Amino acid sequence: MAKRITIDPITRIEGHLRIDVEVENNAVSNAWASCTMWRGIEKILRGRDPRDAWLFTQRFCGVCTTVHAMASVRAVEDALKLEVPPNAQYIRNLILIAHALHDHIVHFYQLSALDWVDILQIPKADPAKAASLAESLSPWTRNSRNELKAAQDKVNAVAASGQLGIFTNGYWGHPAMRLSPEVNLLAFSHYVQALEYQRKALQVVGMLGSKTPHIQNLTVGGVANAIDLDSPSALGMDKLEMIRSLLEEVATFVNQVYFVDVCAVAAMYPDWFRVGSGVRNYLAVPDLPLDSKGSNYDLPGGYVLHSQGGPQAFKTASDAVFRESVSEDVAHAYYQGEKALHPWVGETDPEFTGWNGDNKYSWVKAPRFKGEPMQVGPLAQVLVGYTQGHPLTKKYAELAIGKVASIGKVQVTPDMLHSTLGRHAARAIRAAMLAELAQKHWQLLVDNIAKGDLTVQNAPVLPNHEVEGVGTHEAPRGTLSHWVVIKDQKIKNYQAVVPSTWNASPRDRSGARGPYEASLMGTPLARPEEPLEVLRTVHSFDPCMACACHTFDPSGRQIATVKVL
Amino acid sequence: MKKVLIGGVGNILLGDDGVGPYVLRLLEAMYEFGPGAETVDLGTPALDLLYRIAGLDLLILIDAVDDGERPGTVTAYRKADLIEHARTVRMDPHSSALSESLLAAELLDNGPQDVVLVGITIGTCDSGCSLSDAVEKAVGAAIRMVLEELDRHRVPYTRRFGVRPDIWWAHDCQPHPA
Repeated sequence: MAKRITIDPITRIEGHLRIDVEVENNAVSNAWASCTMWRGIEKILRGRDPRDAWLFTQRFCGVCTTVHAMASVRAVEDALKLEVPPNAQYIRNLILIAHALHDHIVHFYQLSALDWVDILQIPKADPAKAASLAESLSPWTRNSRNELKAAQDKVNAVAASGQLGIFTNGYWGHPAMRLSPEVNLLAFSHYVQALEYQRKALQVVGMLGSKTPHIQNLTVGGVANAIDLDSPSALGMDKLEMIRSLLEEVATFVNQVYFVDVCAVAAMYPDWFRVGSGVRNYLAVPDLPLDSKGSNYDLPGGYVLHSQGGPQAFKTASDAVFRESVSEDVAHAYYQGEKALHPWVGETDPEFTGWNGDNKYSWVKAPRFKGEPMQVGPLAQVLVGYTQGHPLTKKYAELAIGKVASIGKVQVTPDMLHSTLGRHAARAIRAAMLAELAQKHWQLLVDNIAKGDLTVQNAPVLPNHEVEGVGTHEAPRGTLSHWVVIKDQKIKNYQAVVPSTWNASPRDRSGARGPYEASLMGTPLARPEEPLEVLRTVHSFDPCMACACHTFDPSGRQIATVKVL
Repeated sequence: MKKVLIGGVGNILLGDDGVGPYVLRLLEAMYEFGPGAETVDLGTPALDLLYRIAGLDLLILIDAVDDGERPGTVTAYRKADLIEHARTVRMDPHSSALSESLLAAELLDNGPQDVVLVGITIGTCDSGCSLSDAVEKAVGAAIRMVLEELDRHRVPYTRRFGVRPDIWWAHDCQPHPA
């Protein structure tokens, strides 16, 4: 008889991600991913000036503000066939890179490392032994015995106080935790340092975007940064130098700490290369445009359909194949509608029925590409690039594979990337690529300004006839697309197909599971009442469902519940 | 000079959830604050809140709350109230961002000395850019609570007139900042 486990963070008023699994013989035999909130935010945009849409869309989500702003201006530019001057492309690219680096670092350390790292083992660690282990792994200068001892003292103080504070209710001592006390200590010390370096990345976003969390420098057709190399108030050499040095510090942290830690964790949990594959269709859009037209990109895009093999490349960020192949199915989502609809004619009319795994069970629609569920995110981007032979992707993917093999004495093949660990590895690979590209785009910007080009915007002209556009961005969580229809200079329809919608998708009318659901099938559970293994796989996708209410609930009802029936 | 941050928290696209940023923009228009005191519309923050609150003497957050009181009730919550419900299982970066940022700041030994959350009990959080009547009526009380807190900490501010609050989302869209 299957046991049913529900993991449901009963958050605030609306809701977040809920996972239901059935467990038989200590392994997951069925899975449902659902979202307990209704969005429908897009309706607010109808009738508004398309040039203002990005100000609203960047409020969709507090984690992903810049990405929704960027996709929105790109959608309107696509509809207006408006080119973006090189300076604006580079400035936007630097913002996107810095935001992604912040996001990937926080994801690994703050949002998922404690699925693998057992805090309560740290008091047993020998800091000297941990320091010499660290030295064998990385040239990072902040792995000294003293630094590690200080980190251990922090944990000891927390443990001695009897109040675990930020570490309350982790699955400490769980049989699936397998790192040595020294590795746990090392990882925790980097957890603390990560808080510092993610902030440096955010500082870059703030300096170029003039504000965080909501950047102010975007405009349809370009950016609003005034460029003047000699002025301290405009974007000048002082600011640019500061940006370069912050990006360098973050790059060092990524290469010497984050990348190494992911490889080390992977090497010590090699069985997790065989768990969590799921949907093997991948989708990524090209990003980091190198020219005004958007005909060359530093991040490749395309798709892989498991049934057809081989990658297919997208030439541009609004490639005709992409434009024509996306639809959203609501057979298992709480919306009205009979057939899958293209986003330009998408509808968002709620029909709430209550959770029913056989029928409707989620507020997330089921996006499909050529009718298939697709996995998006860093893994999709890395696999799409790797299979196309993209040099930068290959460079860091091979570096990661070699590093895991040398630490763990385990044979790793590219095929093993279809897994829970593969998603972490791909995110680290992507971060290393972005850290390198940050330097390149900084140089492109400086060289272009030095040529005397100070242009930052092409002014938009809104036609009266109906036009439609799609704006894409390969965001930290994967392919994001905003779809806009403009008529009489006003927004007629607007739909955002966000990365977590692809990954958290419910089943479609043919019964095909979405990526979270499919990836959980067969996951072993040591203790079903403490489903750490389910969280490992779900967290590996970097879910972000909270484009919703953020009301603080003082009763503490935001705390998640784990129910075993 | 005390380091003070006054932050409006909430989603302006979801009805009453946007009351935090709304009150914040009113405060910014109506008062001038001394050097050391910063006001910011935080939107719906995650752990990025951490670097905003590091090293502060006083953190004042204005936020929508769901505390079972009548819509429009204004209640002060203190640091202990905010961190007492530590996280259990977290699914995504937003869950308990507020408590967790405070706890992470404590871990780094640079948390704010004093924290108050000016909570306004919400009515509805349906998608839309305006406040319900009950919550709109509570705006004055929320502003007074913020000022009282500043007085208690002897943080100076002066009333000013003639500045239009920048609540661009609540009206038909104002020209964008570019």
